[in-house]
Amino acid sequence: MKKIGFTTSIPVEIVFAAGMIPVDLNNVFITAKSPERNIEQAENAGFPRNTCAWIKGIYSGVINCEDIDTIIGVVEGDCSNTKALLEVLELKGIKSIPFSYPGTDTAEKLKLEIKRLCEYFNVNLDECSKVKVELDKIREKLAYLDELTWKHNKATGFENHLWQVSSSDFNGDYTVFSKDITDLIDKIEARDENKSKLRLGYIGVPPIYTDLYDFVEEKGARIVYNEVQRQFTMADSIGIRDLVEVYSNFTYPYSLNGRLNDIKKQIEIRNIDAVIHYTQSFCFRGIEDIVIRKELGVPTLTLEGDKPGNVDARTRLRIEAFIEMLK
Amino acid sequence: MMVLGFDIGSRAVKLVSFYEGVFQKSLIFDTFDFYRNYCTYMEGKIFVDFEKLDIGKADRIVSTGYGRNNININGSETITEIKAHTFGAIGQTGLKEFTLLDVGGQDSKVVHIKNKRIMDMILNDKCAASCGRYLENMAKVIGLSVGEIAGYSQNPAELSSTCAVFAESELIGKISEGYTAEVLAASINYSLFKRIKPLIERFPAESVVVTGGVAANNALLEFIKAETDFKEVIVPQYPQLNGAIGCCVYALDK
Repeated sequence: MKKIGFTTSIPVEIVFAAGMIPVDLNNVFITAKSPERNIEQAENAGFPRNTCAWIKGIYSGVINCEDIDTIIGVVEGDCSNTKALLEVLELKGIKSIPFSYPGTDTAEKLKLEIKRLCEYFNVNLDECSKVKVELDKIREKLAYLDELTWKHNKATGFENHLWQVSSSDFNGDYTVFSKDITDLIDKIEARDENKSKLRLGYIGVPPIYTDLYDFVEEKGARIVYNEVQRQFTMADSIGIRDLVEVYSNFTYPYSLNGRLNDIKKQIEIRNIDAVIHYTQSFCFRGIEDIVIRKELGVPTLTLEGDKPGNVDARTRLRIEAFIEMLK
Repeated sequence: MMVLGFDIGSRAVKLVSFYEGVFQKSLIFDTFDFYRNYCTYMEGKIFVDFEKLDIGKADRIVSTGYGRNNININGSETITEIKAHTFGAIGQTGLKEFTLLDVGGQDSKVVHIKNKRIMDMILNDKCAASCGRYLENMAKVIGLSVGEIAGYSQNPAELSSTCAVFAESELIGKISEGYTAEVLAASINYSLFKRIKPLIERFPAESVVVTGGVAANNALLEFIKAETDFKEVIVPQYPQLNGAIGCCVYALDK
């Protein structure tokens, strides 16, 4: 089956309905043998040092992947660097399909975007809806795994993060994904409750650090909410058949206000003490931190990550001090 | 009861002892010398040789600093630098509400303290241009020591580079333009202040307490007085020992 790469969550139902394998290129980059090498490779190709590591990592990830020749690039609603990335990849013979999450007249314009994507893959909305019914069964499991984290205090922050973040492409095979998550849930259900008192929320794009969740737990706190990763699971749209409605509910690509409403609601439901706001170096979302810190009303620690790897010593100190401050 | 506080910094190791709640003795070592002369290595761990240190037998030991998780001090408890400096500053000044500025060898920390509790904190950017190492390197460029440049605050020339390395080349440019050593020294101090200013201004308060080795830089204190809204700039009695004192205060408080 043909693989289709993409730069951030897209209506994955369309790719599955076309009988193809969706591949989240961020996952290809971060799970590579040496993600740092991917960044070097992109910089050697001419990517500026002061651009986001994810863009550079995706570039090399695609170039090094022999079986991906077509990618869907989200050019509106995510990162404007993606436009330039697509142009560079075209040079290398990678076919790119631009996709937008329109910021204004969303429903109307998103309908056209989804229609265009369906036409490209030669599928109709009915076929996509059938896939959605299957995916929703898994999304219910993801929502339950999330509850096992925040409500039942049994799943670790990292487990919840990993499965949520993987739901952007269901690891390319939702049948296997479904089986694996079911097995994991069985194991987690048998665990004792983790009584750690301090409950943190994680907002912003997924971290480039590999050991953030474990480090936080080592210091006596738990991350019981992941904003963007949870959005990837489309948990708020389970049972909705209309893809336009589903992907309009997806908060991440639209206004900061929509994100803030979602975050505030979850802080309350999950009884969260404080929030870690992660931003990626050189990303415009770092500017949004100003608004987020002002609006949230809970203590907020802003972390900025650049290169992949473990949490660096300075950031460790800041996290430790933040947790101490809350205790 | 004898309490020992260790602050294992990037440039110096500070050691303070308190006996029956009263400050007793302090020792300061170069970090490299400390590792070489007072530590032993066993099974991948570093142990401190207390006999050699000759500081007496402690009932409690608390340590902090960059080395806190690497050095295995028998029976010691470790706390973060932020916590240690906060306890130290509260212990030394008796204040309840203030902004704490600690300028260390390789970073600066600013902590907002209200009612003796940490409310928020911020660390300097990744660049070394707002810490003691920057002063050392820049002073060296003009052939002076950190102590020698500390008093100069008049007519600083602009050093605009945000990067510690580029600032050195900019300083060399100023030397070639014929600026006097006094002006160059003031410029170095002012450039340090400019990097610290936005950090401390994030947390307005009546008083700012300055600790760390760089608190001995009078020019920095002058600039804070002249160009920020803090009504008081306070340097406690032992600014460089503040972290180690904080470890002891923490132990006594607990």
